[in-house]
Amino acid sequence: MAGAQVDYFYSFRSPYSYLSAPRGFALADDFEIDLHFRGVLPMMMRGESVPVAKRLHTMRDVKREADRLGMPFGRIHDPLGDGATRCLAVSEYAIEQGRAREFVLAAGLGIWGEATDPATDEGLRRICEAAGLGWDGCKAALSNEAIADRVEANTNELVEIGHWGVPVFVFEGEQFWGQDRIDDLAFVLSDAGLARR
Amino acid sequence: MSKLRERAEREIGPRVIVAASTITAPARAAAAARRATGRSGRLELYFGFDDPASAFAVIDLEQRLQGRKVIFDLLPVVERGIKDDPALERKRIYGITDGRRLGRRIGLTLSRSEPIDPQQTAFLAGWVAAAPRGAALTRFCAAACRRLWFESDGPIEAERYEELWRECFGSAPTADQAAVRANEKQMTRRGPYETPAASIGGRWFFAQDRSAQIADWLDQLGWTVK
Repeated sequence: MAGAQVDYFYSFRSPYSYLSAPRGFALADDFEIDLHFRGVLPMMMRGESVPVAKRLHTMRDVKREADRLGMPFGRIHDPLGDGATRCLAVSEYAIEQGRAREFVLAAGLGIWGEATDPATDEGLRRICEAAGLGWDGCKAALSNEAIADRVEANTNELVEIGHWGVPVFVFEGEQFWGQDRIDDLAFVLSDAGLARR
Repeated sequence: MSKLRERAEREIGPRVIVAASTITAPARAAAAARRATGRSGRLELYFGFDDPASAFAVIDLEQRLQGRKVIFDLLPVVERGIKDDPALERKRIYGITDGRRLGRRIGLTLSRSEPIDPQQTAFLAGWVAAAPRGAALTRFCAAACRRLWFESDGPIEAERYEELWRECFGSAPTADQAAVRANEKQMTRRGPYETPAASIGGRWFFAQDRSAQIADWLDQLGWTVK
């Protein structure tokens, strides 16, 4: 069953997506899978409501989880809007360059741990270079319509599979929602005989 | 939007919320004061019998609180969730898939393959809301959650749960739906929007996903296992 596909739906505006990234990408180290990174627009840009109580609780809960996982969290720059869409565009370019993991990890750290503003060229460039990506290629990706179409397709697919939040992993049609379901996915992948020897 | 306002919304506000959440001294002092005056700690759990994640949380927390001088305050609700949530039905269906995973963590197998309509278990919420807090109520809730989600499928027969109630309390249940409504209002006012939601020492937790955090916070507050 080598080469089984796992889709990984991710939003740069979701702190839970940020928490999921190191362990999410590591799945491809531990299992014989093709991990397909699928960047999607933030919930609030998809017309979904996020009540104030949820936003407050999320910040507090993520801080505790980040501490438990040893990840920086607290020096935040909320990327809602251009920051998120620019990261999505560059993430598609990073996939083409084989550096999706590096870019997603760098962007997450920048947004949630270092208050980097990816809506500015200065902020996004810092993230891109930390991920080993050249700025010229990244800048070109920002105005690439084919890339924008791919982001839209990813977002539509999340809706089509019937899910509402991120991060979501999908393996053989089964959905695993949340950074706290990665162990459950690993269990299923092991059960499917996909563990690397 | 002015630059200052934008910075406040995107950076300063979130940073203040996160920083404030790390302040633990007042909660620890309050817990110490309770112990000094011979009182117990208190873990409040808003939960729904129609929700497999709640069933997991009730069973799991009952185990985790053993040996700690902490009152398990079980607060049943029926109506809850994000107002006009378009994903409500999808969440309930997904809850079944997720409930299987949660069950596996405590060695139980989910016996249902379809969501339960909240109104079908509203009678249980009414009974629990009317009863005095204590060991018998905790025992009943944990047993009822097991029976509902891990030992049965199909229609929910109130008679079977009444038998269980008599085993725990030695008398017939009475119902207080007004108390359930009060729990729902209180839950909304205090912030949680989904069940199961646990509150201990001023902190809220997703009770099905944060077992380790809850145990750690109880330890920090001094409500350790004796």
